[in-house]
Amino acid sequence: MPQSLVRWAILVGVVVLTLAGFGLARASVGELAALRLVPSAAPTLLGPILETGRTGWECAPERAASAARVRAAELPDDAGP
Amino acid sequence: MPAWLRTGIAAVALLAVAHPARAQTYPALHPIPKTTDAAELRRAALDREVSERFRLGIAALARGDWHAAAAEFTRIVTIDPREPKGSTARYDLGIAQANLNDDVAAAKSFAAAIALDPGFLAARANLVVVQMRAGDVAAARGSADALIARAPLSARARYVRGLVALRAGDAATAKEDFGALLERDPKYATARYDLALAELDLGRTADAERELRSALELAPTYSRARFALGTVLLRSGHRDEARAAFDDVARTSQDLTLRNLASSMREAIGPR
Repeated sequence: MPQSLVRWAILVGVVVLTLAGFGLARASVGELAALRLVPSAAPTLLGPILETGRTGWECAPERAASAARVRAAELPDDAGP
Repeated sequence: MPAWLRTGIAAVALLAVAHPARAQTYPALHPIPKTTDAAELRRAALDREVSERFRLGIAALARGDWHAAAAEFTRIVTIDPREPKGSTARYDLGIAQANLNDDVAAAKSFAAAIALDPGFLAARANLVVVQMRAGDVAAARGSADALIARAPLSARARYVRGLVALRAGDAATAKEDFGALLERDPKYATARYDLALAELDLGRTADAERELRSALELAPTYSRARFALGTVLLRSGHRDEARAAFDDVARTSQDLTLRNLASSMREAIGPR
C-alpha cells in the first residue's frame, strides 16, 4: 500500500474517532438531561391506635389523616441537603 | 361571718370540685358480669382477652417487636370483636405487617379495616402508602381517589395522590393535588419540588424552573431541588448555570447517589 494512502487512512480514522467521541459526549449530556427525576418520598405510616382510641377519645392518626395543613398531617420534609 | 354562710360557701366549693371529678369517671371497660349464663361469661372472657392482647400488641409495636405485635393482632382479628375494635385491630395488624416488609399482607389488613369502617381515614391513608411501596400503582391510585372523595381537604390525601399520579404519568392530576396543597401551605418546599416535576411532565419547563427556584428560596440546601433545577437548565440550554447547580449538589449533598449523579452531570457538561 502506498505511503500516502496509509497517512490518509490514519488521518481519516483520527477525525472519525474524534467526531464519534464528541458525538458520544453530546449524547451523554442529552441523555443525562432527559433522565426522569424521582418524586419525593412517600409519607411514613400513621401510627397505631389503642383499643379505646376511636371511641370518643382524641385519635392522633385519624386527626393526621384528615388534617388540612401539612404539619398536622405529618407529611415528610424532604427539603434537606 | 355567720355559720349558715360558711356552710353555704363550703357546699358550693365542694360541688365545684366534685363536678369535674365526676366528669372524669368513665364506665369500666369490662364491668363485672352479673350473670352465670355460660355464653355471656364466655363473651366477657373474650372481651378481656381482646383488651389484654391490644395492650400487649401496642406495647410490642412501641418497642419494634413486629412479629409479637402481628401475633397479638392476628388473634384479635380471629376473635372478631365488634366495631370499632375489629377495624382497629386490622389497622394495627397492617402496621406490624408493613414493618415486617410484607406490604401485600398489610394492604389486605388495611383494606379489611376499611371494609368494616369505610370512614376510617387513617386506614385509607396507610393503604395508599403500602400499595405504593408494593409497586401497585393502579391500586394505590384507586385508594387515593377514594381517600380524596372521603376527605377532600386532607393534606395527606392530596400529597399521596399527587405522588401516585406522578408515578403513573398523570401529571395533570399531580399538578392539581400539589397545587391544592400549596394553596394552604405555600411554604411547603417539598410540594413545590413535586409540582415542578408535574410541570416538567406537562412540558412547561419555565413553570418547572419557577417552582424549583421557589423551593430553593424556601430551603436553600434542598439538594434534590437544586439537582432538578440543573436538569431543567440543561434542557433549556443554560449549560453554565446547570454546571454550577450540579457542582453545588456534588459538593454539598448528603445523599451519596445524588452526589455521584451530580458529579457525572457536571463532568458530562465539561469545562466552561
